[in-house]
Amino acid sequence: MRDFSYLRATSPDAAREAAALPGAMLLAGGTTLIDLAKCGVAEPEALVDISHLKGLDTIEVGEHGASLGALAKMSQVAGHDGIKSQFPAVSEALWQAASAQIRNMASIGGNLMQRTRCPYFRDPANFSACNKREPGSGCSAIGGVTRGHAVLGTGGACIAMYPGDLAVALVAFDAAVHLGERQLPVDDFFLLPGSTPDKEHAIRPGEMITAISIPASAAARRSTYLKVRDRQSYEFAAASAAVGIELEADGRTIRDLRVALGGVATKPWRAWAVEEALRGKVLEEDAVRRASLLAVEGAVDHGANHYKIELAPRVVARAILKTGAIA
Amino acid sequence: MTIHDLRTRHGDASDGNADQVGGRLSRVDGPAKITGAAKYAVEQQLEGLAHAVLVESTVPAGKVHAIDTAAAERAPGVLLVLTPDTIPPLKTASDWFGTPPPDVPYCPLARDIAFSGQHVAAVVAESFEQAVAAAALVKVSYDEAPAIADLSDAKAGDGIPIDMMTKEWGEAEAAFAAAPVRICAAYNTPREYQAPMEPHGLIAVWQGDRLTVWEPSQWLDGMARTYAEWFAIPFENVRLVSPYIGGGFGSKALALSHGAVAASAAKMLGRPVRLVMSRPQTFTGYGGRAATRQTVTLGADRDGKIQSIVHRGVNETSMDGMWVEPLGSVTSIMYATPNFSSKQNVVRVNSVVPGAMRAPGENPSAFGIESAIDELAYEVGIDPLEIRLRNYAEQDPHARKAWSTRQLREAFAAGAETFGWSKRSAQPRSMRDGNQLIGWGVAAGTYPVRRAYGEALVRILADGTVEVESSSIDMGQGTYTILAQTAAESLGVPADNVVVKLGDSRFARAGVTGGSRLAGIMTGAVHKAAGAALDQLVGLAISDPRSPFHALQANTLVVSAGRIASPRGDGPEVSIAELLASVGADQIEAKGDTMPANSTAEDRYKAYTTIATPLSHTDGDYSRHSWCAHFIEVRVDEDFGTVRVSRVVSALDSGRLYNPKLAESQWKGGIIMGIGQALLEEGIVDRRHGRIVNNNLADYLVPTNADIPDIEVISVGIPDLHSSVLGGKGVGELAIVGVAPAIANAVFHATGKRVRDLPITLEKLI
Amino acid sequence: MTSQTTIHLTINGHDHSLEIEPRVTLLDALRDRLDLTGTKKGCDQGQCGACTVHVDGERVLACLTLAAQVEGRAITTIEGLAQEDGTLHVVQAAFLQQDAFQCGYCTPGQIMSAVACIREGHAGSDEEIREYMAGNLCRCGAYPHIVAAVRQAALEVAS
Repeated sequence: MRDFSYLRATSPDAAREAAALPGAMLLAGGTTLIDLAKCGVAEPEALVDISHLKGLDTIEVGEHGASLGALAKMSQVAGHDGIKSQFPAVSEALWQAASAQIRNMASIGGNLMQRTRCPYFRDPANFSACNKREPGSGCSAIGGVTRGHAVLGTGGACIAMYPGDLAVALVAFDAAVHLGERQLPVDDFFLLPGSTPDKEHAIRPGEMITAISIPASAAARRSTYLKVRDRQSYEFAAASAAVGIELEADGRTIRDLRVALGGVATKPWRAWAVEEALRGKVLEEDAVRRASLLAVEGAVDHGANHYKIELAPRVVARAILKTGAIA
Repeated sequence: MTIHDLRTRHGDASDGNADQVGGRLSRVDGPAKITGAAKYAVEQQLEGLAHAVLVESTVPAGKVHAIDTAAAERAPGVLLVLTPDTIPPLKTASDWFGTPPPDVPYCPLARDIAFSGQHVAAVVAESFEQAVAAAALVKVSYDEAPAIADLSDAKAGDGIPIDMMTKEWGEAEAAFAAAPVRICAAYNTPREYQAPMEPHGLIAVWQGDRLTVWEPSQWLDGMARTYAEWFAIPFENVRLVSPYIGGGFGSKALALSHGAVAASAAKMLGRPVRLVMSRPQTFTGYGGRAATRQTVTLGADRDGKIQSIVHRGVNETSMDGMWVEPLGSVTSIMYATPNFSSKQNVVRVNSVVPGAMRAPGENPSAFGIESAIDELAYEVGIDPLEIRLRNYAEQDPHARKAWSTRQLREAFAAGAETFGWSKRSAQPRSMRDGNQLIGWGVAAGTYPVRRAYGEALVRILADGTVEVESSSIDMGQGTYTILAQTAAESLGVPADNVVVKLGDSRFARAGVTGGSRLAGIMTGAVHKAAGAALDQLVGLAISDPRSPFHALQANTLVVSAGRIASPRGDGPEVSIAELLASVGADQIEAKGDTMPANSTAEDRYKAYTTIATPLSHTDGDYSRHSWCAHFIEVRVDEDFGTVRVSRVVSALDSGRLYNPKLAESQWKGGIIMGIGQALLEEGIVDRRHGRIVNNNLADYLVPTNADIPDIEVISVGIPDLHSSVLGGKGVGELAIVGVAPAIANAVFHATGKRVRDLPITLEKLI
Repeated sequence: MTSQTTIHLTINGHDHSLEIEPRVTLLDALRDRLDLTGTKKGCDQGQCGACTVHVDGERVLACLTLAAQVEGRAITTIEGLAQEDGTLHVVQAAFLQQDAFQCGYCTPGQIMSAVACIREGHAGSDEEIREYMAGNLCRCGAYPHIVAAVRQAALEVAS
């Protein structure tokens, strides 16, 4: 880690001001930033510690939805009664992420800023080519070890997978990121790599995530996060799905369906096509399995990650069937 | 004349009170470990400690063209930047067989690059943070050469035949061709890593020409020898200290180049230097288990009786070193066959030289043969347990000697009974629970009884407490505890009154801790030393005119619970402390060893600093091995291909257990590492860069707590006095052997898919 | 640019003053500056749990925490778990009884994690214990005994 200066912010405005200086970065839980600084990927000159700011860690759940302060810890949100009852997929996405210790450290806002686990991105000493790190330098992953890389949303510049869980659930339920005055749908907050994989988020210099809001919905109340991985715990997803279902009064026709994928794409991936195909249909296994295949429309593999194209629709199907309580 | 009674009891795992051999005494080093008081090697706080950080090659082959150290040297706190040009040359040390080395200089920093991750430079600074930051500023350029990335590389070729691994009897090829049932398949295991939780590292300090090294070590005497030879100083001038070792699993037995770098830096600076590998560096700083490939062909008759085994194996080694992973070791002894042929090659690739990892050889060997016999079972329609019994080897088929003890039949019976094997439905895919396909698999394992020599010193102090000293080590196997029990039992004192001191090369000597040999050796040595100390004690009590027993004219006395009395109970009873006070003795001290009586000093040096041991496991009339049988249930998600182990019952024959509580822990640990091997662990090579890319604990997956079900272990061993003084056989290596094939066999039973390439990851099943 | 700064840490109820660079992690501050080496460094990158300590009663990883960040917070390490008179915490005692460790290197982190796991109410079943202890790797494979120790200690804490 290079040397840096440390500044403890006393107010959100002071934090934003300090972080706008060249080389400065915001520090909350540190689970991404300190890790990447040790890898030599992040080289801050100054860290602006916002973890002591008051009033940014409130969790409120009401009839219109939830508001999560950016500094609420992952563990606090995961264990919040209102979140568990109104947004079970959000709670499940959180407690299945990382480890109990990391969830006690990582903030909700920082979680959205989590960066890819691409081993080429994380090892600048050995792999100099990385468009995400060094625009124009190339992509070491293409042609390399790709078992954990994305099959959706990729391009010739970058195939790095977005590793998070929470944002997958947030995208499914139309959550918004609050950047002080401005707010953005979570889906728009995350950017596709395109030709600028170094730009991952639609956040501007001097902006800071202050809160996340999730509108209440019947689909969110009946929701699940299903995470499939090699190891039972403490691992990123091989494929995951956040699913919410609202059924008609007949108890079998789908009125509203939300599906988002994790572990397979360059950003949290809303599977609109699956939702379209099943909305208004009767919830039954064959139809769900057929429709779930639409989740990976347009997917491109790079060899070792081909299995994700097979796996993701199965995860989606199981999650829908489980949420609809017919699996 | 027997002058005392030894109350040693030889019994099964359940016998003994905690203070005796065979009892379930809790770890005596436990309180230090659970309170954080246990200081591991690199945790010594030394005045003036400087911190070294390694710089590694980023190419797999070629030469270092230039190293630009200017920026690093200017960086704050930097004391020294070492490169191949600035580090003083050392002497080449002998290998672990003690083979005299060539008289050429040794440079622990490489100019010629044989693998990615090789140490090419090092930075020493006042603080760890400064050293890390400065190391990142060292710029190395290379003249890169073509590399062979791994066994699959088109340039790798067939490798070098290792003739000493060839084992043949009968007419294996012809018998295979003539057999009515034939099985032929290839089984592959990837690079696997020991990944002990404590990374490798050391603190080196010089005082004149005397070197002290605090380093986690499975072999103090062997490593001390290497340091002595590198720096051309007498063996006695090197002190290795390793009181606690945070896991080794084979990886901490040798002094490696990073140790030479740290010791060189300490010498140059005249300050203590600490060097600890980063976790990523531990994947290239020393070798894990070599990647292996085996072809196993079985010829059998229609009732499953094996007629021939033809086995061919290959393992990776490095460009600059030789590692042979003996792939025919289990193949040649597990089953009776009239015809057998096993041969092995090694292939050079651009990797660090592979090394020992829990049951080297036996582990991958068992994956081959124990998978193949399962395939044969399905081919002939015989239960996988039954086919193993039908081919049971009543004697060592290779050495043609009787087994010293082989409780494998008992292991099969006990394991099957507890597991409920008889309720197994024969057909694959015939057991399920919702989306989960359930499979049951069985496999056997074995490990030879490796025997060597050890010394121990037993000291009875004036207050009646006892000290045991040995340069052997405890990395979690329980050496501290079982030696306390041994001394307590031999002397007749409570184990609480025994202090065991290990991990210092100044103590009585010991050979390598590996191959599950230490417990058998050291209990024998302590038993002997304690016996000698007791002889002295009782001798004093009987013959010293000041002793309260002097008038008794007894020819024997007994010591129990730290008190001395006559066997008949007449006469006085005094504590050891009271006796020593009465005769005016400060202490009693005795050394014991397991060396032949006429051993010379040179014999001893060789015995403790090399592995050139004459004690083969098939010496004399017997073939000595530990045995086990694993019964494992898996649940495979039929959509996702994820495999979870849901039940394990293993029955194991490690002979007599010195402490069943600790042996059970070690067995379970081996089984858990085997679960990792079966399902998770694989060093993944980027062929373009010749480099492991998952060089960390988030990407090289070892099992978490959530991956492990309850595990039931059953001891079926009986004392084996051909194997060790007190009747034990090996414990630590044994239990991993056979776990991976048991899981692969269970996965086949669950899914109907035979996976022959470890690990069994989900994409192989969907 | 080397920017030494003075920080004050409260560890196991004792105040410490340190002159360190801001980049020094809590883990290195404990181990290299304060001789509190019970907190272990296994990976130094948030992947093993060996460095688990409590900050304001919550379990966190000391390797990804800057020392400067926890100024003003109450830090508890393994050295501060037993009572001053040496009486072991029930979790420590349970680890010894159940033989829930071998080499001992992951053990302080396991114990700190287990204490928090019970306090959080995540020790309700073996399955829950396994999941909520999954952030502490143990290469010796003491997991079944760790689960037994946590189960035992949770019952003792409850009674």
